[in-house]
Amino acid sequence: MSAASRSGALTPAAERVTFDSLLWISACLALTLLVGIATLPIWVTLTVAGVAAIRLVRAARGQDAPPRSIRLGLAALAVGLLFLQFRTFNGLNAGTALLTLIAGLKLLETRTRRDIYVITMIIYFLSLAALLEGESLWLLSYLIAVCWLTTSTLLRLTSSARNSDWRGSVRHAGRILAQALPLAVAFWLFFPRFGGPLWQMPDSGGTATSGLSDSMSPGDINKLAMSDEVAFRVRFKEGSGTPPPQERYWRGPVLHDFDGHTWRRTESAPVVAPGLRFQGPAYRYTVSLEPSQHNWIFVLDWPSRWDAERAYLTSDYMLMEPNPLSQPIDVTATSYSHVQAAQPLGPGMRRRDTHVHAGRNPRSLRLAQELRSAHPDDVDLIGAVLAMFHSEAFFYTLTPPRLAADPVDEFLFDTKRGFCGHYASAFAMLMRAAGIPARVVTGYQGGTYNRFADYWIVRQSDAHAWDEVWIEGRGWVRVDPTTAIAPERVEHGLNDMVTEGAPQFSRWQQRTPWLADLRLRLDALRLLWRERILRFDESSQERLLELLHIPDPDGQKVALVLAGCLILGLTWLTWQVRRELKFTPRDPLQRAYERLCRRLGSVRCERMPAEGPEAYAARVSLLRPDLAAPVTALCREYSTLRYGAGTGAGVAAADTNRFSAAVRRFRPRGSRGSS
Amino acid sequence: MSVNRRRIYIIPTRFGIALALLLVAMLLAGLNYNSNLGLAFGFLMVSLALVAMHHCHRNLLNVGVDAIGEVDAFAGDYASFEILLRNEAGIDRCDIEIRMDSTAGRAAGGVSSAFVSVPARGYQHGTVSMPVARRGVTRLERFELRTRYPFGWFRAWTYVHSPLTAFVAPRPGGDRALPSASAARGTTAQSEVRGDEDFAGLRAYEAGVPLKHMAWKVLARGGEPAVRSYTGLAAEPEWLDWTTLHPLGPEARLSQLCRWVLKSEVAQRTYGLRVPGTEITPSRGPRHRSACLRALALYPSEPGA
Repeated sequence: MSAASRSGALTPAAERVTFDSLLWISACLALTLLVGIATLPIWVTLTVAGVAAIRLVRAARGQDAPPRSIRLGLAALAVGLLFLQFRTFNGLNAGTALLTLIAGLKLLETRTRRDIYVITMIIYFLSLAALLEGESLWLLSYLIAVCWLTTSTLLRLTSSARNSDWRGSVRHAGRILAQALPLAVAFWLFFPRFGGPLWQMPDSGGTATSGLSDSMSPGDINKLAMSDEVAFRVRFKEGSGTPPPQERYWRGPVLHDFDGHTWRRTESAPVVAPGLRFQGPAYRYTVSLEPSQHNWIFVLDWPSRWDAERAYLTSDYMLMEPNPLSQPIDVTATSYSHVQAAQPLGPGMRRRDTHVHAGRNPRSLRLAQELRSAHPDDVDLIGAVLAMFHSEAFFYTLTPPRLAADPVDEFLFDTKRGFCGHYASAFAMLMRAAGIPARVVTGYQGGTYNRFADYWIVRQSDAHAWDEVWIEGRGWVRVDPTTAIAPERVEHGLNDMVTEGAPQFSRWQQRTPWLADLRLRLDALRLLWRERILRFDESSQERLLELLHIPDPDGQKVALVLAGCLILGLTWLTWQVRRELKFTPRDPLQRAYERLCRRLGSVRCERMPAEGPEAYAARVSLLRPDLAAPVTALCREYSTLRYGAGTGAGVAAADTNRFSAAVRRFRPRGSRGSS
Repeated sequence: MSVNRRRIYIIPTRFGIALALLLVAMLLAGLNYNSNLGLAFGFLMVSLALVAMHHCHRNLLNVGVDAIGEVDAFAGDYASFEILLRNEAGIDRCDIEIRMDSTAGRAAGGVSSAFVSVPARGYQHGTVSMPVARRGVTRLERFELRTRYPFGWFRAWTYVHSPLTAFVAPRPGGDRALPSASAARGTTAQSEVRGDEDFAGLRAYEAGVPLKHMAWKVLARGGEPAVRSYTGLAAEPEWLDWTTLHPLGPEARLSQLCRWVLKSEVAQRTYGLRVPGTEITPSRGPRHRSACLRALALYPSEPGA
């Protein structure tokens, strides 16, 4: 394959893009966009798909890119629209959309190899952008595969690969990528990490939408109960106990404002949380939260310490981050299940938590008055309401009847069927109507223990709502009215108790324990990935150095180790790459003959590239008459073994071995003057 | 000779530089977002570029180069050099560009190059040519091997210091009839050329005989390679003589002689060449033709001509 040209380094023909390359690069771009398709504006995706189709059709017909005026017009229009939509090009989402658009428009005008290079670079960057907010091993693997294909496309731009089999290109690019892996691992392990961001980027506003919100209407939580999604994972620290099931309450939004139908959390200026006296055992644990659009951190009951620097405790003891948790975060905290208030309830707070909407739920208000007059003591009153839930025909169901204008009334007096939200709402309202400060706490309750890696999985289906009431002299006390109807709910979790409308998957899962085990194992892997890979940081690097027996690890030593690894890695690479130059035939006969030629070569009797053994022997005999006899004999033997009767499978291993031994014994010495 | 690793130079191409900037941006983004996966991807790309650099360098490493160092050419035409690349390695060498960067070539609007891919343990040749304007000897001390394989991010190159010499014969010209020994017998050169048709028998093959004179049927029957000979071939030698072109100037004479040499060779005649200071005894065949053309090329040109 040789092409002579006289007109410059590369002829325009060689620079021109073939249909094959266009097809490849379009496929790579499409595969990259697949990742971001959910976050990209739909018209961007459609535009890119459209221009790619136009360009491919034109290329298939042998046409060039469309005229310049059309391309420029389209570009101006698209970028303008994009700016109108985002109002900025700064930030991950807008930047990604802009790059995607540029890649598509570039595809439209692709003529030369240069354009393909631009698109490959955009693909690389888009892959990275997808990974910045992505977390999964699958995403990484997928994008590496896309990068592999993209790089194969680059390989196919070279003239020799242009007409060859695509498998060959992919295989070759794969080899190169595989050789890059060890170096990449060394870089990743030992490249210094800075911990925080170098500069602040505008937040892209998390994309997660499931989970608890800062309001609760009847029926909110039972939607969550159908979801198998993981809300967070908890690992209790060594030496710290695990709270008993009835005390595993993961505190989320605390709701105060009740309009008779919906409980809401109205944001107020951060007030320092009133002091608490912690009692009972302390639990130390790490919660690994999934991203959400809210900024609260789920912690166990009453947190006393936490390691999230910017997080603060609200006056109703919610742990809050200043910004929504768009990234998964890990928080290590200490909590207590039992506390006592150190100071009395403030008048503002009391007013807020005893407020009831006078016009709504009149029957419930009346009931509260009756209970109040019967039970002057707060604790007695609470007991009476719980007893009512227990003794009357209150049912616990995921599919309660619809409630209309006065939901608490309808629930308490008519339907008597509900979910934790209904009970918590009704209970808190009765308390308030009786003058006891009460609030609704939403969060999660329980969790699944993963025995394969010793941690707890809390799923959306564990979402729960309960109440806190203020009892003079003790402070806020948790009351979970749902437990009054069916205590098993708290002891064993939801799935054991609910018979109606439980997630199909869970029921099925119970019948196949091995599948449940498999799921737990997979989840354990996921946590391991998160702890070891996603949260890899400076301290992990220092621990790694300790494993390597390097004393007093610090950032400087990490950098030194990186330098050492790079030197080693590059040396290995040089060796590896050159090793492939050496040709080692698999066939022992061939290897022996190569050795013979090498030895003759060392006495300046190299074999010519296309010289057969007989001709070679004849020439060597002329050059070195002293070697004529052995060389002729060896070469003849080689020809016989290679081409003589009974070749192929018939060549006895013994004959080959004899020949190799003879070659090994043959050591020609250089002679002066004879050649 | 083969390409030594110390003689291979490598720099990033403009795409390589763009990629480097992109990689820096990718790593900064990864660090800024504190994204270990982003960093992993960025570092993979960095390593990929480093590995590609090694592959690019290796693509030239230990490539054997053989060039036919001396070629004949005609003034105003191109001198074409055939360069053979040998690959003793167990891997293919892809897209090696053989470049000849001559001043004459640049003046003519470009560098001559040929792209060659050499399979594992094989060889492949490429042809590069340079324009030669003037009669005489044109010599090029070195040529270049260059590669951007595998991904075009790097360009490795090496200079092969193997002199390439073009003996530039004069441009064939003149319209004088071919002199012939049989001119005395009253036959013209034209009839002599027609004499080709007169089959005279077979003779043993020798290298350089035009293919149309091969006796293919004999070969096909399994005989020794043979050549049909014609009466014209058996004619006595003719001298192509400088002195017979009396009124012409020296360059015109050389051009005429050149055309005669070519014609005689095509006609399978036996011919000798006489120019002042040189006499080439009558013979024929490519080697003889080349000797005659070189004698014409090497004839000293008039000072100031």
